[in-house]
Amino acid sequence: MKRLRALNHKAHLIEQAASDGHREEVQLMSSVVGCTTTFDPGWEVDAFGGLASLCQPMEADLYGCTDPCWWPAQLADSLNTARDWTDGKNSALRDWRELQTLFPGD
Amino acid sequence: MKAQTTQHTRRRLRTAGAVALALGMAGTLPAAAAQDPGREVIDKKCASCHLEDGKLTRIPEMRKSPEGWDMTLVRMGIWHKVELTADERRAVVKYLADRQGLAPSEAAPFRFLTERRPNMQDTPPDDEMAQMCGRCHSYGRVALQRRDEDEWRKLMHTHLGQFPSAEYSALGRDRNWWEIARDKMPGRLAAMYPKNTDAWRDWSRSKHKAADGRWVVAGERPGWGAYSGTMTVTAKGKDHYDVRYELHFGPGNTVRGQGESLVYTGYEWRGSAHLGNEQTQSIFALSEDGARMSGRWFLRNADEIGATFEAVRADKAAKNAVATVTPQMLRAGDTATVTVAGAGLDAKLDLGAGVEVVEWLGKSAEQLKVRVKVAADAAPGVRKLAVGGRGSDKTIAVYRQIDSVRVEPAFGIARVGGGTNPPMTAQFDAVAFLNGADGKPGTDDDVRLGSVPAKWSTEPFDERAKHDEDLKFAGHMEPHGQFLPSFAGPNPNRRGLNNVGNLSVVATVQDGERTLDAKGQLMVTVQRWNTPPLR
Repeated sequence: MKRLRALNHKAHLIEQAASDGHREEVQLMSSVVGCTTTFDPGWEVDAFGGLASLCQPMEADLYGCTDPCWWPAQLADSLNTARDWTDGKNSALRDWRELQTLFPGD
Repeated sequence: MKAQTTQHTRRRLRTAGAVALALGMAGTLPAAAAQDPGREVIDKKCASCHLEDGKLTRIPEMRKSPEGWDMTLVRMGIWHKVELTADERRAVVKYLADRQGLAPSEAAPFRFLTERRPNMQDTPPDDEMAQMCGRCHSYGRVALQRRDEDEWRKLMHTHLGQFPSAEYSALGRDRNWWEIARDKMPGRLAAMYPKNTDAWRDWSRSKHKAADGRWVVAGERPGWGAYSGTMTVTAKGKDHYDVRYELHFGPGNTVRGQGESLVYTGYEWRGSAHLGNEQTQSIFALSEDGARMSGRWFLRNADEIGATFEAVRADKAAKNAVATVTPQMLRAGDTATVTVAGAGLDAKLDLGAGVEVVEWLGKSAEQLKVRVKVAADAAPGVRKLAVGGRGSDKTIAVYRQIDSVRVEPAFGIARVGGGTNPPMTAQFDAVAFLNGADGKPGTDDDVRLGSVPAKWSTEPFDERAKHDEDLKFAGHMEPHGQFLPSFAGPNPNRRGLNNVGNLSVVATVQDGERTLDAKGQLMVTVQRWNTPPLR
């Protein structure tokens, strides 16, 4: 912060948070991680009741959805529940046929 | 070192618990016969973690539907590597659903979810419940559980630990969601869905009726039409049955089959059967008096394809119990054949003023078949059928002309499929209505007449769908109103898209000289890989 000077309220809050020892928290909260953080696109139907705002094609970013666990009710979450879901299937665009459904039959 | 000490202490507690179990002192689960296979598995496999001071923990503190318990076991398998054989899994679900299930009245509001009816949207009681629960999964999944406040709070912690993105789904960017989840929701949920209720106390103490015997059954399979027939149920063990079906969908289309079923919690029938050349599952509820059964059966590998089901018990006690009447609607001025299926039927039929029985075509305790003449001035509307002088809840509608048609579901979903994930089709129905007292279509007082044959087509839903050529890529509409979605995977012929599409579904119905159109919306969307029975 040597060459930057806080001018508005938000900048003052950031400066204060950094000096209070919350630097890592501030950095984390100001980082954009994944599309859901910013756009809230929906998995099967978008916020407008259509498809146009969904991630398209889903296969291009499927592992981005499963890795940070965005849609655990619809997909595997490879954070906790299905860590090996994508093992050996390195490209969702190419290998999506090999991905297994999660709930075992009775 | 601390972790080691804790583990050591836990191991000692588990050993102590095992001794207590052997002495029959363990847990707060209701005492069970020592040989119950479900309890044996719980003692052998669940108790290795769920035991503290000789008592089972967590497990006794909640009540769930059979599907709810099954999902718990699957989670324990995935998260904690509990290995259960298919028999063990079934035995534990049976044991827990019988002793810690839901009373019929508790499960009743969410049977559409249990029965896996497609294209249903459940409605959370308020915005807070919708935001905290219903943005990821159905609200019914919550409402089919019973816990006290502390247990509901543990469920919040489970969500936080296992699914950290819940923070975003619960609108955590804009508010302190965790305070709401931790401090407010457990109390609200415990007030709405507490562990101990009068309904469960009464049900768990009552003697439940067995399902064996002969049943007269009826229902409707969208795309195929109405059916009636019989189901013969033979006991092969406690709550375990052999079942034979004979279903008549119309002249020349009789489907026979057999299978077996298990009844949980005294009324929750779960069956599997070969019907014709199809492998099916059934999810029915036995009525509290044991005289009726209702629910839905569906294809084992495509639960969106199925039929409604209603049955009346055909025993000596049955008296004018009606399962169905077909057709559902009669045109004023016409002559028609009407068939009533049921049990203990007397040959005395009242279809209301203006509908006269002119000829008896068949009279038996399980079927009445008559020729009726509908007067040209018979009052349009729905009338209740009376058999043997006794009113039934079954109705038949009289109409002069169809005033309007609706596509049901109004908003449907199909999913592209492929690989290990089969496509999910969408079945639509055209339903005829009268305008009702206000003379206007599309209002609350419209009178539902019933399903009618239609010609089906699809159109782009909006300009975006037209631009993206969704109609060309998303799939194909069959003549009986079933939409077959396309194959999954990126489509190189669509720039940056797979085969999803947003379509209008159009039903065209001919009513004499008049032609009526109706539209619904169909979203052909992406597959899902997490497919539990309660979604």
